[in-house]
Amino acid sequence: MAIPKLACDRERLRQSLDDRLSEQQEEILLQHLAECPACQHELERLAAEQAEWSRVAEVLRREAAARISSAGAAGTREPACDSPVDFAVAFLEPSSLPGALGRLGDVDILEVIGHGGMGIVLKGFQQELHRPVAVKVLAPHLAASGAARQRFAREARATAVVVHPNVMPVLTVHSSGKLPYLVMPYVPCESLQQRLDRQGWLETLDVVRIAWQVACGLAAAHAQGLVHRDIKPANMLLEKGVDRVLLTDFGLARAVDDASLTRTGVIAGTPQYMSPEQARGEAVDHRSDLFSLGSVLYAMCTGRVPFRAETSYGILRRITDTEPRPIREINPGIPEWLVTIVAKLHAKDPAGRFASADELAKLLEQCLAHVQQPTTVPLPEAVAAIEFASVEARLTATAPPLSSSRSRRPLLVGSILAGLAILAAVAGIAIRTHQDDSDERSKSPAESAVSAAPSTSENEARGQSALSVWQDGVVEQIRGLDEAVEQLDTRAAWFWDDDTPSAPTNNQTNAIQSSNPEAAK
Amino acid sequence: MPQPETRPSLIVRLKGERNELAWTEFVSAYEPFLRRLIERQGVPERHVPDAMQQVLVAVARSVDGWQDDGDPASFRRWLNRVARNVVLKLMARERRQIGGQGGTDWLESLADVPDAGGEERETEYEYELVVWAAEQVRGEFLDSSWKAFWATLIEGRSVAEVAAELGVSPGSVYMSRSRLMARIRSKVQEVVGRPEESSEV
Repeated sequence: MAIPKLACDRERLRQSLDDRLSEQQEEILLQHLAECPACQHELERLAAEQAEWSRVAEVLRREAAARISSAGAAGTREPACDSPVDFAVAFLEPSSLPGALGRLGDVDILEVIGHGGMGIVLKGFQQELHRPVAVKVLAPHLAASGAARQRFAREARATAVVVHPNVMPVLTVHSSGKLPYLVMPYVPCESLQQRLDRQGWLETLDVVRIAWQVACGLAAAHAQGLVHRDIKPANMLLEKGVDRVLLTDFGLARAVDDASLTRTGVIAGTPQYMSPEQARGEAVDHRSDLFSLGSVLYAMCTGRVPFRAETSYGILRRITDTEPRPIREINPGIPEWLVTIVAKLHAKDPAGRFASADELAKLLEQCLAHVQQPTTVPLPEAVAAIEFASVEARLTATAPPLSSSRSRRPLLVGSILAGLAILAAVAGIAIRTHQDDSDERSKSPAESAVSAAPSTSENEARGQSALSVWQDGVVEQIRGLDEAVEQLDTRAAWFWDDDTPSAPTNNQTNAIQSSNPEAAK
Repeated sequence: MPQPETRPSLIVRLKGERNELAWTEFVSAYEPFLRRLIERQGVPERHVPDAMQQVLVAVARSVDGWQDDGDPASFRRWLNRVARNVVLKLMARERRQIGGQGGTDWLESLADVPDAGGEERETEYEYELVVWAAEQVRGEFLDSSWKAFWATLIEGRSVAEVAAELGVSPGSVYMSRSRLMARIRSKVQEVVGRPEESSEV
């Protein structure tokens, strides 16, 4: 493969160390780095002084040795890591209900639905009210931390003030006990994250329908002066059987005027869906949620997150400094107007986004009508206006170089061809990374037991659909394959969370209250 | 028992919003490290929140001694210095008193204990800080990056061999371990504060 030769470039190394290069730039640099001892040395020097390298290595070596010897001795101090079921049973009171694991307050606990960084979620039944409920319990190690308890209580308070069909309600809160917990309605559903893991990208109709409902729920929260701050697919629940989307996990939500808490310098939330202002640790307002929603839209359109990197820090860098790969390069089936809506949500400057979730919701509602009835309902004028503005901007940006190189057409064609070759190479990389991602996800033993075969063929189909940029003819065939795979997949069971291989579930529908793994840090 | 919580507004009579913000930031950066340190000193689990509170109170109590030296981040640098001293005292004190006793008496009036100082203790503090930072940072990276870091730096294996084993390019092994190193370094600095005001990143 023809990768351009690279001269030693200290600034490049520095940028890569800070995760500031694009995926493609980095690929080229790493090739060079492998063969250039001078750059290897320079890179180490940029990361830390020689003395620091030695000190850290020495400390970690000693620590590793100490752990091995203390593991051999009796009575290690490290607390045993219980399975969620053991943990759940350990703190429950006995229950009189046959088949129940135990009792928590007035709720008989039937089973463990799942667990995440913040705690565990249990399925329960309230006998007095005769209704199934989901109970979210804060993890014991977090219950000892003031900050985590505050966050937990805040989730309850924040959610309680937002009453909306697209917001998951909290029924009761018990925050004073040893382990604080929330009681919510039990809703058979899967999260959008699970849906994306299972299915890859979604059809335009589903993308718009889901985005519209999330925008409605967000508008209700914003109307209360509340910023969600953790908008991501894992926090959007898709109810089974009906087309309803529920926005959940207001654990990071904060009132806009709560200034002292908004800038603590701690990364709160999932970096992948953060806004640039969050990534920089600046104060955020409701428009931050709109950026995150743009990233969710991107993920629904393409099946992958817009900003990716090796580290959370690298992800933050990409969010603040780079534009994601164009949506239609990955999925040409997405209409241009939807791309422009995502682009507007992804404006780095909050002022460039939609003014409010409400405005977005109204727009998406009209778009939805258009997608459902394309011949009778036109696209809303507002969308056409954004589209026009962005096309115009692109034209003015590219026009001068094109006209000036007209006399050197052969050269131009040559460079376009070279560009295409690079694009093709990049697409190859994209496919591989995408498959790696999916493979990693399906490593959950429970999941692979159920859906190993369909998910493999799905990966292939996804990979090919990315290629279809260059092979228009096969797009339809691949679409057909995708649909077949979808049908296969809907019969498979889905699970709580991709990082919970032990999720002990054998029923097909879960009530999910997703927790945020970041919070444990 | 209600959990003790750090209430900056109650403990610290701070002048101005900026310092209150600095305090909040300080606590959020310091608390996880402190928790680990206290646990590793052999404090019984149920006393850990107490111990942490005591340390923070001791730090806060000294706040009257702070004077703005006019340089940037004066308050924050001062906080780090006081906290470090208090933690060193804690480490010295528990050696003498903790053996088997259950109460929290040993924690009280930390602020009154003379400075333990001592090079050995200081080294131990730095040691704990590096171990803590490495553990914190590990979760931010892909597992293969951590393995590349560990195998080449700690176990001293060759880059080519480790890259082949992990199925990654040798270039990415170099990059991953340098990123990890840089991250550990900056994590340590989050707690102890930067040596001097370094340039904006």
